[in-house]
Amino acid sequence: MTHFDVFGLPPRYTLDAADLEKRHRALALEWHPDRAAPSDARAHRVAVERTTALNDAYRVLKDPIRRAFYLLALAGVDLDHAGGGPRDLPIEMLEEVLELREALAEAKTAKDFPRARELAARVEAERTGALAAAVLCLELVETSPANPVAVKKASHQLSRVRYFTRFLEEADALEEEAL
Amino acid sequence: MAAGGLMQIHDPQKPRGFAVGIDLGTTHSLVAAVIEGKPRCLPADVGGSVLLPSVVHYQAAGGVVVGKNAQALAADFPGDTLKSVKRFMGKGPDDPETKRLGAYRFVGGKPVVRFDVAGGQPVTPVEVSGEILRTLKRRAEGHFMAKVEQAVITVPAYFDDAQRQATKDAGRLAGLEVLRLLNEPTAAALAYGLDKGSQGLFAVYDLGGGTFDVSILKLVEGVFEVKSTGGDTALGGDDFDRVLAEKFLAAMKLEAPTPSQVVQVLAVARAAKERLSVADRVEVGLDDHRQVVTRAELEEWIRPLVQKTGPACRRALKDAGLKPSDLDGVVLVGGSTRVPAVRRFVAELFGREPLADIDPDQVVALGAAIQADLLTNSARADEVLLLDVLPLSLGLETMGGVVERLIPRNSTVPTAAAQLFTTFQDGQNAMDVHVVQGERELVADCRSLARFRLSGIPALSAGMGRVEVRFQVDADGILAVSAKELSTGVSQEITVKPSHGLTDAEIEQMLLDSIEHAEEDVRARFLREQQVEAGRVLADARKQLAQNGDLFEPGERAPFEAALAELEALVRTATDFQVLETALRALDAQSRPFVERVMNRAIADAVSGHSVEEY
Repeated sequence: MTHFDVFGLPPRYTLDAADLEKRHRALALEWHPDRAAPSDARAHRVAVERTTALNDAYRVLKDPIRRAFYLLALAGVDLDHAGGGPRDLPIEMLEEVLELREALAEAKTAKDFPRARELAARVEAERTGALAAAVLCLELVETSPANPVAVKKASHQLSRVRYFTRFLEEADALEEEAL
Repeated sequence: MAAGGLMQIHDPQKPRGFAVGIDLGTTHSLVAAVIEGKPRCLPADVGGSVLLPSVVHYQAAGGVVVGKNAQALAADFPGDTLKSVKRFMGKGPDDPETKRLGAYRFVGGKPVVRFDVAGGQPVTPVEVSGEILRTLKRRAEGHFMAKVEQAVITVPAYFDDAQRQATKDAGRLAGLEVLRLLNEPTAAALAYGLDKGSQGLFAVYDLGGGTFDVSILKLVEGVFEVKSTGGDTALGGDDFDRVLAEKFLAAMKLEAPTPSQVVQVLAVARAAKERLSVADRVEVGLDDHRQVVTRAELEEWIRPLVQKTGPACRRALKDAGLKPSDLDGVVLVGGSTRVPAVRRFVAELFGREPLADIDPDQVVALGAAIQADLLTNSARADEVLLLDVLPLSLGLETMGGVVERLIPRNSTVPTAAAQLFTTFQDGQNAMDVHVVQGERELVADCRSLARFRLSGIPALSAGMGRVEVRFQVDADGILAVSAKELSTGVSQEITVKPSHGLTDAEIEQMLLDSIEHAEEDVRARFLREQQVEAGRVLADARKQLAQNGDLFEPGERAPFEAALAELEALVRTATDFQVLETALRALDAQSRPFVERVMNRAIADAVSGHSVEEY
């Protein structure tokens, strides 16, 4: 059972966030352990299991980035698990990431917070672009499943998204230091 | 109890058992219950106050005093009178928290904080909290004249797994079945939501005595969904007191104050802070030292502390994907939100005047009572559902002391995650797992929750042994771990006990110790209950006697009055609750024919247009 099945949705990237939230609420009302009779241990256990699956599916699907990673995993490339990343990442992508990280490390040492913020804004924009590119490829896979080129391109772009996300987390930590 | 007797007139629907809501606070604790559909705080301390100071005093003779009476003993016995013990829940003795300004004597050598107090054994924060909970349980039982065995206990949303475990253990020690650990801001929203039928997005800003929490909640059609939460488990009004106390000590040129002086100065600081919420200036007197403090000065001194709440609020908004203008309201919780500087800060931060129409001291307990009622009262189960979140990310230590995040913070609970481990040596039959909680990248910067060893892995060549470890977080936000060896299907349940928690054996021993005293405690309590019950029955009987005395058959009245006089004497002299109980039963049986006539008359009157209420 996929996360999409839990909600009775087709496995597509595009979804209506308000509708997903509504479905989550309706299913939680139906399945939540608080709704099970307190004395019925079996019903309670089933309720915990179902609600856990529901919440896990919700966590993944409601987040535009996690949802993309999940669709890629459904297409056969699991970037979330150790060793699952593509080994053939184009060298310019790696260079881009290395340069950005060095720049951030410099800003950190110099306590140059405006510079860090500027870098974060740039990376945020890059990440949005990479995600959009990945989504385009994933949508191609949705319509024609046997499309190894699209899957590979999506995995490259999502690898960038992952690096950018780590970068932004670091920049965030720095931002908190500044506060 | 026999049907149709006096007691039935008095209380036609004698309640069977009650589930209460408990706010186990840093500075004070409250107990509340839903009575006739409305949540209400119950008298919790001597004098009928609903606030029970979270202060526990240990006497040399072995007794324990809780609340206001314990507070009064703090100056004379600073080391034996424990306050703000919530700050130590789930903490280790090496934690910075245990080294702050305070008068306690610690016992070293164990992973759990132990206070050295009068009257025997050192005590842990769990036991001290257990005493507070036990007191609240008894007060509630005294109020209802019935057993109270189930409770919803609130915890700061930001409490980690160890702190939650410790709170649950304290409930167990007090003889309470903990129905749910409820996050304080969620409880507050529940109290507000049900009162006002609100819909929309709310921020709950909760600054208590020792903890700060902020949560963003969405209320839609009876579902309270926590979107994000953040805070600081070591920031609160106590810190305001400390800042002020340090200023006083400096002005008094007291470099090495005695524990008694520290306690005294802290109490004066607290009183001054509270006065300055309404007054512009206050003069304090400490022995022969006089000092005037203005509100402006206090605000200047506490500004860094108040501002410390800002980043958590901004982060919570960001995690929920919201701007301040998206909110429909901001709710204030916790006594420290009475400080005007705090209110101004909140108003500025969220761009709106916060709501504070429910007493900020009571709102959490009221919400907990509502949740207790929802969980136990099947008639109400369909009204409301709470969807809470995990406050801090859960992760595992990987190579190089780096954290691999498994469940991100603000995931709706219950939730789970699985991680696959492979063996890296030929024939390896065990591996170590280290579970941490927190947002930082390095293990050293996160909270260590548990370390355990997975053993019994079949000897295989490197990389062939594969173990799946599954983390399940329940609706209380508490973690359980199970592991399964995939090639053989052998599975193992692991009880995750926090590194700074108590072992099950320790809890068992504490329970045994408390049961030793429990027998006499119960008898004393039942006696008090029967005394109160007899008092009510007597008052009621006198009233019936005056109003319906004409309904006695000849020869009935004198023995009835004699029985009342006898019961009245027994209330004063009986030392055993069973004696009183027997007397009450006898009176009940004896009065039955009279009571039936009273009831018949009441019914006849009601039919002819009078109301039963007139009786």
